[in-house]
Amino acid sequence: MTPLNLTTIDFSWLAILPLIALSVGAIVVMLAGTRVDDEDSAALGFIVLVALLAAFLLTMFELGQNTAAFRGSLAVDDYAVFFEVIIIIATALTVAMSLEYAADAGLAGAEYYALVAFAALGMLLMAAAGDLIIIFLGLETMSIAVYALAGFIRRDAKSNEAAIKYFLLGAFSTGFLLYGIALLYGATGSVRLTAIHASIAARTAVNPLLLLGLGMLLIGFGFKVAAVPFHMWTPDAYEGAPTPITAFMAVAVKLAAFAGFLRIFFTSLDPLATEWSPVLWALAVLSMTAGNVIALVQSNIKRMLAYSAIAHAGYALVGMAAANGREAGGAVLYYLLAYAFTSLGAFGVVVALDRGAESHAQIDDYRGLARDHPGLAAAMAVCLLSLTGVPPLAGFVAKFYVFAAALNAGFTGLVIIAVLNSVVSAYYYVGVIVAMYMREGGVAVESMSRRPGLLISIAVGVAGVIALGIYPQPYMGAAVNAFASALGRPALHAVSMLP
Amino acid sequence: MGPLITFYALALLAIVSAAITAFSRNIVHSAFALFGALAGVAGIYVLLGADFLFIIQIFIYIGGILVVTIFAVMLTQGIADVNVSNRAVGVLPALVTAGVAGGVMFYAIIHSSWYHARPGSATPTTYWIGDAFLGPYVLPFEVASLVLLAALIGAIVISRQEVRE
Repeated sequence: MTPLNLTTIDFSWLAILPLIALSVGAIVVMLAGTRVDDEDSAALGFIVLVALLAAFLLTMFELGQNTAAFRGSLAVDDYAVFFEVIIIIATALTVAMSLEYAADAGLAGAEYYALVAFAALGMLLMAAAGDLIIIFLGLETMSIAVYALAGFIRRDAKSNEAAIKYFLLGAFSTGFLLYGIALLYGATGSVRLTAIHASIAARTAVNPLLLLGLGMLLIGFGFKVAAVPFHMWTPDAYEGAPTPITAFMAVAVKLAAFAGFLRIFFTSLDPLATEWSPVLWALAVLSMTAGNVIALVQSNIKRMLAYSAIAHAGYALVGMAAANGREAGGAVLYYLLAYAFTSLGAFGVVVALDRGAESHAQIDDYRGLARDHPGLAAAMAVCLLSLTGVPPLAGFVAKFYVFAAALNAGFTGLVIIAVLNSVVSAYYYVGVIVAMYMREGGVAVESMSRRPGLLISIAVGVAGVIALGIYPQPYMGAAVNAFASALGRPALHAVSMLP
Repeated sequence: MGPLITFYALALLAIVSAAITAFSRNIVHSAFALFGALAGVAGIYVLLGADFLFIIQIFIYIGGILVVTIFAVMLTQGIADVNVSNRAVGVLPALVTAGVAGGVMFYAIIHSSWYHARPGSATPTTYWIGDAFLGPYVLPFEVASLVLLAALIGAIVISRQEVRE
């Protein structure tokens, strides 16, 4: 027996320090939670915020590295940093909007904030995953934590229903993903993304086993990004979960799933692009159309935003289906960035009207909001207009980039369907704005000055929407650069993409 | 020839037991039939020369999870009375779906070029598994403990009694 050779580990502090920061933060929250009452749980939230800040700063050291660590288990590239930064910001805003909410609703603070930190840890793993095992483990860490978070309001039947539905369907979809991973391993003999790429590229004939694995992976990721026809859990889970967790699911979970999805499909399975591109085409059309049409008839704003989230997954899939490498990939990354800020801002306003015990989540509750709370109404209006795609907001620029990339790749029909869908979506987004500004008789909203955490998270979301819309060039450049780094190609300038 | 017969015998054991688990109306029968399914898979691990997986399958799945499952079934009052075991609903759509999925998989398995591991005599694998866990796969190995920690906290949250004031 030879002694263990430690040099085979390929250890790197750089790659795991952000993860360590988050896991230490989560454990400290659990320990400190024994001394903190649930009414004062905001203090625990601050611990997670500190851990997130540490993770953010440590992530910054990974910029421009473009290497791998742990023998390819983790990728240390700008693509990972791009998603990690958005995920950390989205998690921080989720925690900020929970500070008052969790204490008011009497949720068990220690477990709540620890699970949020663990979920974020799983998401960071998905963003940086270099092999299928890490993707699976990251997905599970994230999903298990979010299943429990969705059912956190124990007295509320809807919250329990959300957790059960999300858990059962999520576990089912994880089974598909795992089966796909097993089949890919069987067909290529490796779980490392680079080795899988090499194995597929070396082949001349297409292996049916590979296609079956590809299909299983598509189903698994389709569930996680809530694409039609794998979306059944979304409205119920979004409606029943505590509202800050709904925002977390709609933004951070979706982004992490897309991070793994894009990386596997563009760096490992790209030799099969002619096979998977038509499938994504169909998923994109179904998601956009079903999401927007069903959203038209919703009276509950959380359900409406759930269907809107399904539709926006469809828009992102438009860019993925275009599959022409850097340009489309960069556009999808920018789309997800814009969607993250827009959605967080909108859900922040939903949290503002929601007071835990009595949930004011009907669109009718928003009537007359502009008179008593002009700031809240304006924030909601900005976010909804950005979701519609009205210039000069982030949503418009994002849709422009994605549609332009798809047009350049020759997907004219798909872009026409997407634009028509945007027009349809305007109806239900503007409906909320009309209710806020032109109707009377909603609910009384607690003063925002008592809820600084929530106020800050809404402000950051809205600021992001406006900044990304007015001055998109540096962020688009970062997105294109990040995507190029995942492909292992040198960075290029995004000049050709600018409007 | 010998290994082939053994393989089919074990596969039959696993599949028939799994079918009983799925179709039995009595949850106690389902729980006990699970033993055959897990043991059949354990036997296949032996045929593959995966001695460590065999032992782990016996220890964890049969010795741990299955026994706890049976305890849970037996300690739950009146569980045999309320046919909680799976009632079949939507038989026709399920048959079509399962038939199509099974057909596609069968086709793929038959027509695929499989990646073949190096054949060799069965040697103890434990050392190499340990080596892989602390070498190239050290990160997944460590991260698995975080998954379990998150699952534990989640389970506590879900199962804890709500304190009513």
